[in-house]
Amino acid sequence: MTRAQLIAALIAALVALVVLELVRRRRLSEDFSLLWVLATLGATMLAFWSGLLTGITHALGAKYETSTIFFFGILFVLVMLLYYAVKLTALIQEVRRLAQEAALLRLKVEEKVGDDAATRPGRSA
Amino acid sequence: MRPLVVVPAHNEEQCLPHTLAELAREAPGLDVVVIDDGSRDRTRHVAREAGAKVITLPVNLGVGGALQTGIRYALERGYDVVVQFDADGQHDPRDLPRVLAPVLEGRVDLSIGSRFVSDDPAYRAAPMRRAGMMLFSLVTSLAIGRRLSDTTSGFRAYSRRVMWLCLDYFPQDFPDAPLLIWLARNGVRWTEVPVTMRPRVAGTSFYTFTRKAYYPYKTLLASLLACWRAPRKEEPST
Repeated sequence: MTRAQLIAALIAALVALVVLELVRRRRLSEDFSLLWVLATLGATMLAFWSGLLTGITHALGAKYETSTIFFFGILFVLVMLLYYAVKLTALIQEVRRLAQEAALLRLKVEEKVGDDAATRPGRSA
Repeated sequence: MRPLVVVPAHNEEQCLPHTLAELAREAPGLDVVVIDDGSRDRTRHVAREAGAKVITLPVNLGVGGALQTGIRYALERGYDVVVQFDADGQHDPRDLPRVLAPVLEGRVDLSIGSRFVSDDPAYRAAPMRRAGMMLFSLVTSLAIGRRLSDTTSGFRAYSRRVMWLCLDYFPQDFPDAPLLIWLARNGVRWTEVPVTMRPRVAGTSFYTFTRKAYYPYKTLLASLLACWRAPRKEEPST
């Protein structure tokens, strides 16, 4: 095992630990952790099984192992970003819907109570 | 048939009193609801003082998000027609009956107040804006197979069927060409009626420089995708 492989394995293990700890503390949901866990597993496998990286590099027709690593690294980041963009879009739609419901409910309360002092938004406080 | 005038307003304390007063004077008896779209000024109070019903959004959603709120309200309270009306005084309330009539009479589901139907010589847009308007008019007309002259008009009347469709899909910041394409693809019957547009009374437009630059990209993409999206089969539930 080369020094580079050892460092890669250590970093992968560290990231995996941080991710699992975040999930344990409920600071990260299980759904969001999935891609990270998969990535650390992949990195660990590559670190311990040196023939695998060479094999993949040949299969892809790449010249150097480093290219393969960077290729998959960048691919991972892109998938992650797209996943977040999709999640963000869903969140935006949910927030919009909630804001609309809140506004309509507020009107109903105001119509019942008459005065709007009770329902003044938080930003004025 | 009960119509409701929906006025989306974001930081429009300067324009609203004038607009609402003119509405009350020129179109008496019409229900008006102002959607305060997360304003930081006194929009809400100004509208209240003018005697309008006000729905206050806790955050700023954009013109589309505000309009959709008004549409939800209209459906909830059993209104049959919604008229979208600008807060900034651009629209002339004297045009309201003309915009409303085709929908009230049940001839169409969507009535669009257009600056270009009668080639109003008073309306002159800046060259870039004019080019953009022509482009989107062309794109929309091609997409729906019939000439639509004014895609950017914010003076429109919607029937209940259109309101249902607007709950399902409504572009949030620029509810223009993509919305019209989507509605037409759902078999909505529409017409354009001539209206006059005036310069805004005071305050600042929603269309800041960045929004103006971003508008063509977003609208073009959404228009193309609206052609691609399958029409709805059944009416959504509230």
